[in-house]
Amino acid sequence: MIMKKIKKHKRLVLVTLSYLGLFIFAPDIALTSANNSVYYLLEMLQVLPVIFLLTILIDAWVPKELITKKLGAKSGFSGNLFSILLGSLSAGPIYAAFPLSKLLLKKGASVANIVIILSSWAVIKVPMLLNEAKFLGVNFMIVRWVLTVITILFMGYIISLFVKKEDILNSNDASISNTSFKINKQHCIGCGICARVYPEYFEMNNDKAKVKSPIVTKDNKKIIEASIDECPVNAISLNHKK
Amino acid sequence: MDIFVLSFWGITIVLTIISLIKDKKKTFVSMKKSKKMMGSMVIEIISIIFLIGLVLTIIPPDSISSVLGSTNVFLSTVAAAIVGSITLIPAFVAFPLVGSFVDVGASIVPAVAFLTTLTMVGIVTFPLEKREFGFKFAIVRNVLSFSFAIVIALTMGVIL
Repeated sequence: MIMKKIKKHKRLVLVTLSYLGLFIFAPDIALTSANNSVYYLLEMLQVLPVIFLLTILIDAWVPKELITKKLGAKSGFSGNLFSILLGSLSAGPIYAAFPLSKLLLKKGASVANIVIILSSWAVIKVPMLLNEAKFLGVNFMIVRWVLTVITILFMGYIISLFVKKEDILNSNDASISNTSFKINKQHCIGCGICARVYPEYFEMNNDKAKVKSPIVTKDNKKIIEASIDECPVNAISLNHKK
Repeated sequence: MDIFVLSFWGITIVLTIISLIKDKKKTFVSMKKSKKMMGSMVIEIISIIFLIGLVLTIIPPDSISSVLGSTNVFLSTVAAAIVGSITLIPAFVAFPLVGSFVDVGASIVPAVAFLTTLTMVGIVTFPLEKREFGFKFAIVRNVLSFSFAIVIALTMGVIL
């Protein structure tokens, strides 16, 4: 149990141990480092709650169809421009963009547009551009901005050639390799038990049960196995991809 | 907090209240999902932040000066890009720092490489990116961003 916890948070354990070691052998280094971290902790506290609320709002109210239309594979150049706009209107460091982008990807955005959102989130921000113009000159800022936007668009395109959406959704650390679950439409009698007991995973559609998101993860594996047992006609099954 | 972050707080809080009024249940279901996703991420972020603190002690922002001032432009550009990838310096520190160097006559090429990798390439945040998007995506995005930062820098050297 303890070993499992340590393994799960190995980075936290490692960092804590290094700080403890430094406090004993080089307390000034440990203090400076802790002081350096304060700025970033504050930054995190300023931004993450907003990101948390935003993911809730997008998840609850923005329909998948809309995101697929505006940011999906068929959204074309206007989808790319929209992604740049979304990224630049953001606040906070690049890691704040990860949960939001992941959600957009799940809801239908294309890999290219996710790269564009992440990159413009990192580089293009109005307060940052003003700062840059102030210290390095307006010309410098504009030229760098134009070159960066071109690069970001280009990069989105290249990465979407290498990395497919399934690579990202399946490679999640939390998911068990390539396992999904499905409903056999021929067997399903539409009793609705699964949708009533596990509304997070199943819904009813034309008197047949439908899987909401077929990905099996460490967290939901037990629940899905339970739902398999519960189905009176054994219509739910796990699906192992090669 | 700058005006940008403040307005984000305002807008999202208002929208969340509207969402709660419109459909409490729906909002709570999404909240549960979001909590699960963010919960474990926060622990990871905090450990990474303290790691950043350590990195900044070992490689203080001023150390970029020795890299930017070097005479071989190509080598110093690559070195500046590497330093930019490792460290995470807030923009309001980075711009005046780099600006002061360009003012005294240092080449802008390494300066641009540094500024671009600083935000686009994240070695310290790599584990977080890998966690959310997988190793393949994270490595391809970071390597490409690094290479393009150097391309942008060299192009700017030609233009300006």
